[in-house]
Amino acid sequence: MSQRPTASPMKFIDFHHDRWHAAIGEDGPMPTPDPCANRLLSLEQWHAVREHWPLDLRAGVSLPNDVDVETLAPDLPRLALITLHFPKWVDGRAYSQARVLRSRLHFRGEVRATGEVLVDMLPLLQRTGFDAVQLRADQRIESAQRALGFFAGHYQGDVLDAQPHFSRGTA
Amino acid sequence: MYRYTDFDRHFVRARAAQFRDQLGRNLAGELGDDEFRPLRLQNGWYVQRHAPMLRVAVPYGELSSAQLRQLAVIARTHDRGYGHFTTRQNLQFNWIPLTQAADVMDLLADVDMHGIQTSGNCIRNITSDALAGIAPDEIVDTRPYCEILRQWSTLHPEFAFLPRKFKIAVSGASEDRAATLWHDIGLHLLKDETGHVGFKVFVGGGMGRTPVIASLINAFVPWQQILVFIEAIVRVYNRFGRRDNAYKARIKILVKAEGPKFFDAVNAEFAAILHRDTDGAAQLITQAELDRVAASFPLPASIAQEPAGRADDAAADAPLAYRRWLERNVHAHRLPGYRAVTLSLKRAGQAPGDATDLQMERAAEIAERFSQAELRVTHDQNLLLPWVRQSELFALWQAARAASFATPNIGLITDMIACPGGDFCALANARSLPLAEQITERFADLAEQHDIGDIDLHISGCINSCGHHHSGHIGVLGVDKDGAEWYQLTLGGSDGSSASGASVPGKVIGPSFAADEIADAIEAVIVTYRRDRTEGERFIDSVRRLGTAPFRAATDGVRLATAASPA
Repeated sequence: MSQRPTASPMKFIDFHHDRWHAAIGEDGPMPTPDPCANRLLSLEQWHAVREHWPLDLRAGVSLPNDVDVETLAPDLPRLALITLHFPKWVDGRAYSQARVLRSRLHFRGEVRATGEVLVDMLPLLQRTGFDAVQLRADQRIESAQRALGFFAGHYQGDVLDAQPHFSRGTA
Repeated sequence: MYRYTDFDRHFVRARAAQFRDQLGRNLAGELGDDEFRPLRLQNGWYVQRHAPMLRVAVPYGELSSAQLRQLAVIARTHDRGYGHFTTRQNLQFNWIPLTQAADVMDLLADVDMHGIQTSGNCIRNITSDALAGIAPDEIVDTRPYCEILRQWSTLHPEFAFLPRKFKIAVSGASEDRAATLWHDIGLHLLKDETGHVGFKVFVGGGMGRTPVIASLINAFVPWQQILVFIEAIVRVYNRFGRRDNAYKARIKILVKAEGPKFFDAVNAEFAAILHRDTDGAAQLITQAELDRVAASFPLPASIAQEPAGRADDAAADAPLAYRRWLERNVHAHRLPGYRAVTLSLKRAGQAPGDATDLQMERAAEIAERFSQAELRVTHDQNLLLPWVRQSELFALWQAARAASFATPNIGLITDMIACPGGDFCALANARSLPLAEQITERFADLAEQHDIGDIDLHISGCINSCGHHHSGHIGVLGVDKDGAEWYQLTLGGSDGSSASGASVPGKVIGPSFAADEIADAIEAVIVTYRRDRTEGERFIDSVRRLGTAPFRAATDGVRLATAASPA
């Protein structure tokens, strides 16, 4: 049976040791954060600072799951990280956001899943273009890694392998 | 039938192993019940009133005798000896303990079966015409396309957690036998004037609380592009479908609310996938793939080699029961000398669509002897034999009769569609099966049934509409009032077949009936029809001509407890 191209390993983010930090001050989110490395900005913050943000300083942006990722298209080369949110794990909108970011907008930075991220979502996340996850605190990384190992191949093309099974030349 | 490749087999095995792992974590307490629930649903496990229900996928209704035998084994060894065929061409078990679930999935995988996406908010089992590949009015055989759609939708990573369930039905004949316009997506395979094959695509149909007939969104999508077009529809739905209210979450609500904006969004998405996505072109179905899949659906070899023998039409002295069976249960075939034959699963003493383990084995045996070991599950909850020699009809009738499958009632009032209802289903407001039984008893006289003629009686135990009450010529909906069972009666619905007319939900006649009134009310409708019909007029045509008033008056006349109810 066909073997899929090896996916880059999924990165598991330990929230307490994450190099990315939200721009939050004593009074809540800063309206116009100063440029600095590894800043993870909300979409509002990014819109407020994007005109002044240094072109060579790649930022991170957190997107709610009802945002059209196309609105970020011109900014993507300036971003190193986009976090996509699962307010509930059964709300699947962020899968479509990730897929469009990768397949249509060719975003090459990190796409990270946040919110209610459970181990059984991992195969879907990986196939739609996520390469990092921040699991919900009670989830076990070993179970998540095992969840990635059940299938040797899938029928549809996906972000890992654009070719559907039927075009891979093996039955 | 589609022949599984090694890849397909490994895939179903992998799914069974994945489910075993999830079940194990659930039973060990690592995976909570609430979080296990969507995972088990997407494998067909649905906890209902008494025990888990397992819905086994029968893709587009095609079933081999070997598969049916294995279902019989599962019924006998893990359930209480029976299963229930559904309107979506699946099979449900009712009594399998969840602790045995993973073992049952392995047994299914042994015969290339599974429960993938038979429940949950994902793309469900693709349904189609039970006469696909054999109907005289067929334009394009739907089966290869259904199989390609099945593969595309199976574990699609982007569409596993949609706002709500998503159902696709495919028809390829001039007659729509798959109720396509009642689906989230209805597909009509056709040929354009140059002979090119494509799909007429309808979107946004559905039953439930808000019955809606699907709208035409594209009159001709070339077959190569159909996966892309469907992906565009489902992606727009995934993004914009409502998630705040489960009753407003189906795509029909989005299509109604957005109208032309929805169509524009789908067309823009379709163009974007084709022209901008790195993987857009890769999703076009290739001729090689269509040919590979189509090769799984050849004419059975013995048929191709040996033209069928003489016709065996009913001789004048044939038993009446046989002549009635020929009239109702035997259908035209595209091959001369062949017929399609329905094995009726509507008979006294058993729920509509039910079959015991022994009956499953008898049906398998009959299929092996008379129909190339192949069966179809029909939309109206019967089994169908697609490859019967006309010369063997009498022998088949005898075998079917001995096995309880020869009730000559296909399309008649006792050939009703009914969900399992409150006897099994935790969602139901009322029971369906006692009413089905009463109707079967009241209309047991075959001469009377044949005199009443073509009629679609559909019974749902609740507004989820598994019994398709909206599309019945007579529809019955179970409702709950103050904890008691009540039944709302509708008339004049259509599934979209040419005999029934354009798809439309039935009209409610009067307030709901009490449980001890509803069978009388249905009988009063039939009495009114027989009294007022013109020569040769079918039931649905009488309802259209007369309107609901005379039926309303007749049914009000049988009210007891509800006699004083306000209209």
